[in-house]
Amino acid sequence: MSSTPDAAVSVHEVEHVYGTGPDAVTALGPLSLEVPAGSFLVIVGASGCGKSTLLRLIAGFEEPTSGRVRIGDSPPTPGKGAGIVFQQPRLFPWKSVGGNVELALRYAGVPRAERARHIPELLLRVGLRDVAHRRTWQISGGQQQRVAIARALASDNPLLLLDEPFAALDALTRERLQEDLRLVSAQTGRTSVFVTHSVEEAVFLGSRVVVLTRRPGRIALDLDIPLPRTGLEPDELRALPEYAALRATVSQAVRTAAT
Amino acid sequence: MNPTPTLVPERLGTGPPGRRAAEPRTRRRAGRRFGVRVLAVLALLALWQVAATAARNPSFIPTPGAVWDQLLRLSTTHDGIRGYSGSLLVEHLGVSLRRILIGSAIGVAAGLVVGVILGTVPWIRVVAEPVVTFVRALPPLAYFSLLIIWFGIDETPKLWLLAIAALPPVAVATAAAVHGAPKDLVEAAGALGASRWDVIRDVVLPNALPEIFTGVRLAVGIAYSSVVAAETVNGVPGIGGMVRDAQRYLQTDVVVLGLIAIGISGLLIDGALRAAEQRLIPWRGHS
Repeated sequence: MSSTPDAAVSVHEVEHVYGTGPDAVTALGPLSLEVPAGSFLVIVGASGCGKSTLLRLIAGFEEPTSGRVRIGDSPPTPGKGAGIVFQQPRLFPWKSVGGNVELALRYAGVPRAERARHIPELLLRVGLRDVAHRRTWQISGGQQQRVAIARALASDNPLLLLDEPFAALDALTRERLQEDLRLVSAQTGRTSVFVTHSVEEAVFLGSRVVVLTRRPGRIALDLDIPLPRTGLEPDELRALPEYAALRATVSQAVRTAAT
Repeated sequence: MNPTPTLVPERLGTGPPGRRAAEPRTRRRAGRRFGVRVLAVLALLALWQVAATAARNPSFIPTPGAVWDQLLRLSTTHDGIRGYSGSLLVEHLGVSLRRILIGSAIGVAAGLVVGVILGTVPWIRVVAEPVVTFVRALPPLAYFSLLIIWFGIDETPKLWLLAIAALPPVAVATAAAVHGAPKDLVEAAGALGASRWDVIRDVVLPNALPEIFTGVRLAVGIAYSSVVAAETVNGVPGIGGMVRDAQRYLQTDVVVLGLIAIGISGLLIDGALRAAEQRLIPWRGHS
């Protein structure tokens, strides 16, 4: 079986087992999934359903016990083909905010002369202004996560992987970042795979939502979210009747899948 | 600096409770601490004077006054004799400091390299760690004899001695810090496309810097205490050589003066290293 030509990510019959012998735990699968280029896929599931494992397999941090993962045509390699945002910002405290973005640009192969110009651009794209000279611990948790996103956007990778990036933030900050991320993804047209346990977040962000069963995670629901990606204010979007209906569907699926 | 400038006037008006109020208090506390220290030194001097008077033997315990006189004598040319053995006190100290600087610079540089290798290549660590621990356990005077046989009695064995003495603490601290590099940051760098070398340079080493610096301070301290050993043979000029020489002629006041000079310059250098540490590692304590 070959993946469809426009699939940015293809996961084929993947199964992942942690440990060996009697301690072995099957975390995931078997599971197959195709992510078309330009789509925003959100993977939802309860804790321990293997959703983070799936993302780590797509990122190339781990190799599946069986099955195959492809980014475009090649097996995933960390640092090649995908920008990654983790649950914690993971900024380098020995670098300033701008220094963190600069490092990402350098790793992405951007020549030194152009980096200085790109840093404020990238920070502005995630809604940050006048913070480049700050130390990383001098900005708020929400701002730190914005820097982490800017860092992940530094290379021109067509794929963005996000592992519960807003889970540690307070509700208000979280909502702001969701709105901004939705906008950024619409503007850049990148393919995104976003892992969360929040149904609300999934329906708001995704152009497609996949619900995983409890361990070993398999696909319980694969749902297109036909909401407009641009042109609506976040509050207008949340007020749509379709939005409420989709949320109810996903919520129901998550609850069923968890039992 | 402030992202919300509208808050600034309000802050100025009400006066923030924490920082501003605390500043005079910390200054007062620092002043009091300084006063206590001066008092302690004066008390020590008084005790010294009493002990010297009671002993009534300047070769056993010289008076503070006698040591002070030596300080003046060794800092000038008296009766055609320049300082001690032709060198002023500061020159003796300068020669020793130069040896410490070069010796511990070599030791620190080598310790860094050894530490990074020990921290990153497991099988080398298995082989080399006992060797480093072995060398660390040796008193410098013990291997100095061997160094003299190999390198003669000039500068070379002294620098070798100080370098060997300074290497282990830096190597051990570096190896531990490099080995304990935070996995999440290493992974994050890898996710951004960093090569293996990028990760070492941009994540592992900066993360290890606070611990490395502690190792460096330890190393300089050890080099400092080893310099007297290094100058037991052909050590004049040199503060350790001077002390050693004065001991041979029972010039106890010169010995005491040398000890005080070594101690004070050691304090100053450690202070300088601490200041450098605060400047170089502003993220210490922030993760």
